[in-house]
Amino acid sequence: MADSPVTINSPGGQSTPASSEPTPQEQKQMEQAYAQMKRKMAMEEIGRKIKHKIMVLSGKGGVGKSTVSTGLALSLAQQGHRVGILDIDITGPNVPKMMGLDGRRLHVENKRIHPAEGHLGVKVISMAFLLEDEDTPVVWRGPIKLGAIQQFIGDVEWGELEYLIIDFPPGTSDEPLTVAQSLPDIDGMVIVTTPQQVALLDSRKSITFSESLKVPVLGVVENMSGFTVNGTAEPGTSLSIAGPGGKTLSATADSEGRFSVTLDIFKQGGGQATADEFGVPFLGALPFDPGFVRGGDDGVHRIVSEPDGPSAHAFANVVAAIQAQLSDGSDSGLEIV
Amino acid sequence: MAEPLPTLKKLERRTQDMVLTYDDGNTYTVTYDDLRHACPCAKCAPMRNEDDTSRTLRRQIEALPAEKPTVRTVGKYAVSFEWLQGCSSGIYRFERLHDLALRRDPDRGKPYVHGAW
Ligand SMILES: Nc1ncnc2c1ncn2[C@@H]1O[C@H](COP(=O)(O)OP(=O)(O)O)[C@@H](O)[C@H]1O
Ligand SMILES: [Mg+2]
Repeated sequence: MADSPVTINSPGGQSTPASSEPTPQEQKQMEQAYAQMKRKMAMEEIGRKIKHKIMVLSGKGGVGKSTVSTGLALSLAQQGHRVGILDIDITGPNVPKMMGLDGRRLHVENKRIHPAEGHLGVKVISMAFLLEDEDTPVVWRGPIKLGAIQQFIGDVEWGELEYLIIDFPPGTSDEPLTVAQSLPDIDGMVIVTTPQQVALLDSRKSITFSESLKVPVLGVVENMSGFTVNGTAEPGTSLSIAGPGGKTLSATADSEGRFSVTLDIFKQGGGQATADEFGVPFLGALPFDPGFVRGGDDGVHRIVSEPDGPSAHAFANVVAAIQAQLSDGSDSGLEIV
Repeated sequence: MAEPLPTLKKLERRTQDMVLTYDDGNTYTVTYDDLRHACPCAKCAPMRNEDDTSRTLRRQIEALPAEKPTVRTVGKYAVSFEWLQGCSSGIYRFERLHDLALRRDPDRGKPYVHGAW
């Protein structure tokens, strides 16, 4: 138990008796202050060793925050970067499943937490690694001590990374605040939204929230943007397809007989609209792809199974848009002629 | 860890190669073929693991038409090259460019393994 990276203080503080000698109580406080200081130093070191830290947020759950976090991480890893994901979504940490690391437990060595390695070598730390039993994350439903999260972050041995992607719980909870205050130099946050109106309202909340955190918004990603149907027909055939909302879509089979039509399952363009309204960048749209994370079941992300497919390309575009934001103002001073 | 990396001050693109000027006063040329053969992306890098696939990669690159890339800095630590044809995925850290400048193996003799750095 002494080696546990997380200590959860029992609720209900005791009152300190007045005395000249350090009481066991005061002794404990000093030890805690020392631990706190060491943790702060560890955080600063993490800050130095990780070049870019990107928070991924959404107004509500189920919009694909984890799908986007893992997709960004894998897409960056595909470019040859060293990447980590920190999954602190205590409401349902599902990153391990998507990274093929289902059932992993926390690996602690010399009082340091070591990340697990998922697809493409992406290093993963998840709150799920702390759960006794994944199907009953009851422990974390209760009021978890934010200090535990802080401690958790400070104790991870990431090594050198170019990117750390942090998957937060949905909504405007306290966790992002704790992390933003603990980890130095966070580059910014990526807001994930779906095209539906409700989802948009929530992401507006996230943007206002980001201003209170003093972390810049790198931009908005629209997830589940449209569903593309591919098919074959006699070359040159014109097809008409009954789309959602009573709209008729048309397509023509090309010289090889292939056609594709994109159905707007939800209304498209909502992400762009939110971005415009708040004057933050729009980072791109990701298609609705039913097999995005077959990982729900067997831990294979589309980016891994089809590195050249349309979903991988959509992610690469979003990554490029994020990188364009990151290089802003962080010029290397290199003259290119 | 090893010797300190000089800062790349200037990258001059020529027809077949680029001239790299460092703040320690040294200037090097790196051909685009050598540069592209050293692409660190997850598709090109594994091809350098074996001599024969590495040669295949080389031949594919040499068969591409000559062109000057669009060069962008990535944060403060790397440069990317965009080509009209062939792979543009790789992000070249300054260490990698410096290794190429000094005619050193930018993979430092290590075979590419996903997740092993
Ligand atoms: N673009 C998409 N296309 C199809 N399914 C998706 C897409 N994005 C997410 N999903 C699915 O929606 C569900 C919720 O996604 P998840 O990433 O876990 O959301 P969150 O982390 O916001 O709660 C998952 O089953 C996931 O596979
Ligand atoms: Mg999630």
